Amino acid sequence: MKQTRQRMAALIGAVTLTLSVAMPAQAVDLQFFFPVAVGGKAAETIESLTREYVSSNSDVNIEAVYAGSYQDTVTKALTAAQGGKPPQLAVILAVDMFTLIDEDLIVPFDDLLSDADKKDWIGGFYPAFMENSQTGGKTYGIPFQRSTPVLYWNKDAFAEVGLDPDTPPATWDEMVSFGEKLVKKDGDGNVVRWGVRIPSSGFPYWLFQGLTTQNGVILMNSDGNETYFDDPKVVEALQYMVDLSQKYGVMAPGIIEWGTTPKAFFEGATAMMWTTTGNLTNVRTNAPFPFGVAMLPAKERRGAPTGGGNFYIFKDSSDEQKKASVDFVKWITAPEQAAQWTIATGYVAPRPDDWETPALKAYVEDFPPALVARNQLEFAVAELSTYQNQRITTIFNDALEASITGEKAPQAALAEAQEKADRILKDYR
Amino acid sequence: MRQVDYGSSLNLIAAWLVALLWFSPLAYALWTAIHPVAYEVRFDLTAPLTFENFIDAWAAAPFARYFLNTVILVTMILVAQFVLCTLAAYAFARFEFRGREVMFALVLVQLLVMPDILIVENYKTMRALGLVDTIVAIGLPYMASGFGIFLLRQTFKTVPKELEDAARVEGAGLFQILWRVYIPLAKPTYLAYGLVSVSYHWNNFLWPLIVTNSVETRPVTVGLSIFAAVDSGVQWSIMNAATLMTSGPLLIAFLLFQRQFVQSFMRAGIR
Repeated sequence: MKQTRQRMAALIGAVTLTLSVAMPAQAVDLQFFFPVAVGGKAAETIESLTREYVSSNSDVNIEAVYAGSYQDTVTKALTAAQGGKPPQLAVILAVDMFTLIDEDLIVPFDDLLSDADKKDWIGGFYPAFMENSQTGGKTYGIPFQRSTPVLYWNKDAFAEVGLDPDTPPATWDEMVSFGEKLVKKDGDGNVVRWGVRIPSSGFPYWLFQGLTTQNGVILMNSDGNETYFDDPKVVEALQYMVDLSQKYGVMAPGIIEWGTTPKAFFEGATAMMWTTTGNLTNVRTNAPFPFGVAMLPAKERRGAPTGGGNFYIFKDSSDEQKKASVDFVKWITAPEQAAQWTIATGYVAPRPDDWETPALKAYVEDFPPALVARNQLEFAVAELSTYQNQRITTIFNDALEASITGEKAPQAALAEAQEKADRILKDYR
Repeated sequence: MRQVDYGSSLNLIAAWLVALLWFSPLAYALWTAIHPVAYEVRFDLTAPLTFENFIDAWAAAPFARYFLNTVILVTMILVAQFVLCTLAAYAFARFEFRGREVMFALVLVQLLVMPDILIVENYKTMRALGLVDTIVAIGLPYMASGFGIFLLRQTFKTVPKELEDAARVEGAGLFQILWRVYIPLAKPTYLAYGLVSVSYHWNNFLWPLIVTNSVETRPVTVGLSIFAAVDSGVQWSIMNAATLMTSGPLLIAFLLFQRQFVQSFMRAGIR
């Protein structure tokens, strides 16, 4: 016992010592939580950008803490805040904005900015990204790690079945007719290559929101307290998704995994896939055949949700800390840094002026598919986000999964989901 | 002619099937870890072997440091648990005092509460103690283990009173009785409980992630999580290499002491 206690004391001593040595006396200290949802150099890039900023700003000290997945990060931030020690700054899913407001943990950027900044800086982000960052006329999040889904296609497979390798499907009907040509079976009638893959594990709502948007319907209002899950057009979109496997046989039946989708694409097990633009660098490095990147196909219109994370500033910080946080966010979303981040990960640089930097210009010239996601932003809408977001999306995901696996008819599943969502959201109206 | 014993051969076949089923994820992990990425889903016996995945995984995070942290963590927890649980169990098993039943019931209540529910409260406590972002903070909430106390109390209760009386006649004090009679007789329980504790804390993820912020304090499980990047597709080869690396020591220890472990589980009555 004594030994243990001594060792503990020594440990505590050592840790506090390293901490106190690491921090210069009068600088503002910031703690910054960030998640990583793409492989490769994402964590490293954020850490090195932070170091770069700290080395040129001696009055501020930023401790960048890698906090796991998006889900882990919001759990960590909520726990720390409830435990009385929130970070000053965090990158958390844009859709968690209402949760953070509901918990009274974050402050709007508006209170910390001059009028000129509000107009020029906040006004300078793509409006599609700001839809998930603003509510009630205030800006709570600054887009950073943002993405949108796109369609990747295998040019060799297109050529093999007599399709033009440079023309991706532009409409729902084309996706079906191309898909029917692309499906390949072996002698025993087993499918060795599917036409398309729309991953549906974990959070099927995200890609499904592409389909609903294309069908000309939105899933929720901007106040985050109404959903429209049982709209006939939502039902129609879900029916189309189900029909892709049940009726047309161009997509594998059942739940399709996110994690294995890029692999299936590289292996030629599917000729097209829908997935996030955050995968671009991965596909570019690993696809053994020429591939194309296109906007998602249209029904009534083009359409896709946005996704990914925002910067949030936590309430329980001193005024100096809040000011330093804003300065850091401004710096890291500024064109030079945003360009570096986009090239390293494939995430979409969140401001039009980011794309004017020589670095990004050279990058897209060399690799034009990087522009597709940005161009799609014109048609993009806010990702599904409401109060009690975790519960609402779970209800919706369950309904989608039940339909995809054939357990329930789309109409019935969605009507039930809407009823459950209404019960939760009526307190917020 | 020898009679074929259908019962036992069926048992044997079933055992083999279950063993294969249990082993298959491990076999897959091993396969992907020692072959290039291209062979992740293609089984080809002539596929070239490589250690690239292990090297990449090792380089992707400061695993040496994480290993050290995990080892410090599990050792610290185990030692503290043994000391605290032994003393508490001894008291509950062999001493009459007022409120004993109530206190023991309270200890049992701890078994009903999932540790994850207490995350916020634990965090508040660690903050009040100034321990956030230390290895001690990861271990502290688990040291007074209700399960350990319960288990050791039950074991101590099975020790015949005569042994204790004999020791007392020989002039042994309270602690000597504990040290020379009870603890040696409870060895299988200690071994079994130690295994459960070590493997639980070796694998624990959420609480360590939440309460730590720096490389100096984080255990291997948190380090491992950077490979689970869902947005860009999971890189099974590297991830499996890293998983084998981190679970390797435990796996090897289990294989080496397998017989003792199984026996102590039987004797300690944990199934």
